[in-house]
Amino acid sequence: MAVGISYVSVYDNHGVFRRNNSRLMDEILKQQQELLGLEGSKQHSVEFLNNGTDKQDHQVLSCQSVVNVLSPDDGKLRIVQAAQQLCRAVEQMEKTSKDINVTVLDSLLRESKSTPDPDLVLKFGPVESTLGFLPWHIRLTEFISLPSHVDVSYEDLFSALQHYASCEQRLGK
Amino acid sequence: MPKHVAFIMDGNRRYARKRQVERQEGHTQGFDKLAETLRWCLNLNIHEVTVYAFSIENFKRSKDEVDGLMELAKQKFIRLLDEQENLKKHGVCIRVLGDLTLLPLDLQQHIARAVVATRTHNKCFLNVCFAYTSRHEIANAVREMAWGVEQGLIKSSDVSEALLSQCLYSSNSPNPDLLIRTSGEVRLSDFLLWQTSHSCLVFQSVLWPEYSFWNLCDAILQYQLNYRPLQKARDQHREGQTLQQHEADRAGVADLLQHHGNGKPLDAQKRQEALLNYTASREERVQDFLGALQHKRDSFLTDLTSQAALA
Repeated sequence: MAVGISYVSVYDNHGVFRRNNSRLMDEILKQQQELLGLEGSKQHSVEFLNNGTDKQDHQVLSCQSVVNVLSPDDGKLRIVQAAQQLCRAVEQMEKTSKDINVTVLDSLLRESKSTPDPDLVLKFGPVESTLGFLPWHIRLTEFISLPSHVDVSYEDLFSALQHYASCEQRLGK
Repeated sequence: MPKHVAFIMDGNRRYARKRQVERQEGHTQGFDKLAETLRWCLNLNIHEVTVYAFSIENFKRSKDEVDGLMELAKQKFIRLLDEQENLKKHGVCIRVLGDLTLLPLDLQQHIARAVVATRTHNKCFLNVCFAYTSRHEIANAVREMAWGVEQGLIKSSDVSEALLSQCLYSSNSPNPDLLIRTSGEVRLSDFLLWQTSHSCLVFQSVLWPEYSFWNLCDAILQYQLNYRPLQKARDQHREGQTLQQHEADRAGVADLLQHHGNGKPLDAQKRQEALLNYTASREERVQDFLGALQHKRDSFLTDLTSQAALA
């Protein structure tokens, strides 16, 4: 939040964060107050997306952060559900197979209209894999590994961001 | 040891700049390095390799560079056909994954001939992603399932993670154990996003044309170090999939009984029978659909080869 990152998602491949969603929210709010003080916290509001129960489209204020809690079900399972939805539409003659393309599928997989694809993944832990994290959304995501999330320091985060800043994407060109 | 390794062969152009040669020369050296790497893989008993040769995004490059790459590809596929005896001897099966209709027709025909000629070989497999992105591949798989629904071959309730996997261009291959990207970039660039969800990812800073046997060994070592946690994660995921399929089948049976039943509740044994029947019919539908899909794909390629023969 201090660095100005608008969208943060957290993921673990056992779905622990998802199951303990409210506890995570409470902890984040508590730490925000500790770091920024009561006034600072009021100026910087945090919205928690609770996958599937997304609230109405809101204006993204300049100081607002959006925290998303993800699990493996948000990966392949979501894609399969979108596929089922499209196939049901075909079954009911509302669509034809020719109507299905990347854009159509992408709009079904958007968490909300404003949440962008992850630009950067900070991966904690020794396992060199995405472990099922949002396969559709990570096509251009940069992956930076940090050894552990336990006692991670601001310096660690900052140097990861510096590394990210030096990445040059050619986007095929 | 990994059985299937995927490569993002990145760095040809940076190599060319470094050596102060033409870009095209960088790509040619990149191709030579691919041939060399394939030999190393075979020596290490790695029998399946998938490479990212040309992305749909690469069409954005200058016309000269794209034409150059198309011409290079054409030459290489023609050369492959000259090597047919050798390919047969070593049992090399070549597959090309991507939307071939985006390529010049003559290249499509050469590709089709190489793929058809090596179709039955089964000792080692080279999958070349050409005119490919993962999102296009996934969208295409969904479109194929929708086609299956249109043809009356499957129902929308038959759609599952397993079925989607079977509709990808890579359906005849197991998922890669190891994905290696060279040149220091640390992203996936729309390559095999579905298939590599539980693969070991290794990012190496060496430029592709400079790739060495030791770089390959280093990557394999990473694979070995990650083997157990990845195996565990894969097994967990598979268990989850099985549970989901059971639940979906149960819901399907409940739905069926609601619509066709006579209102009387079934006893446990009859319910179990109904579930087994439902699962069996679903599996049969899916097999027929996959057969039709394979036939569609085979015909597309054979049509191209007969065009090439007439030309």
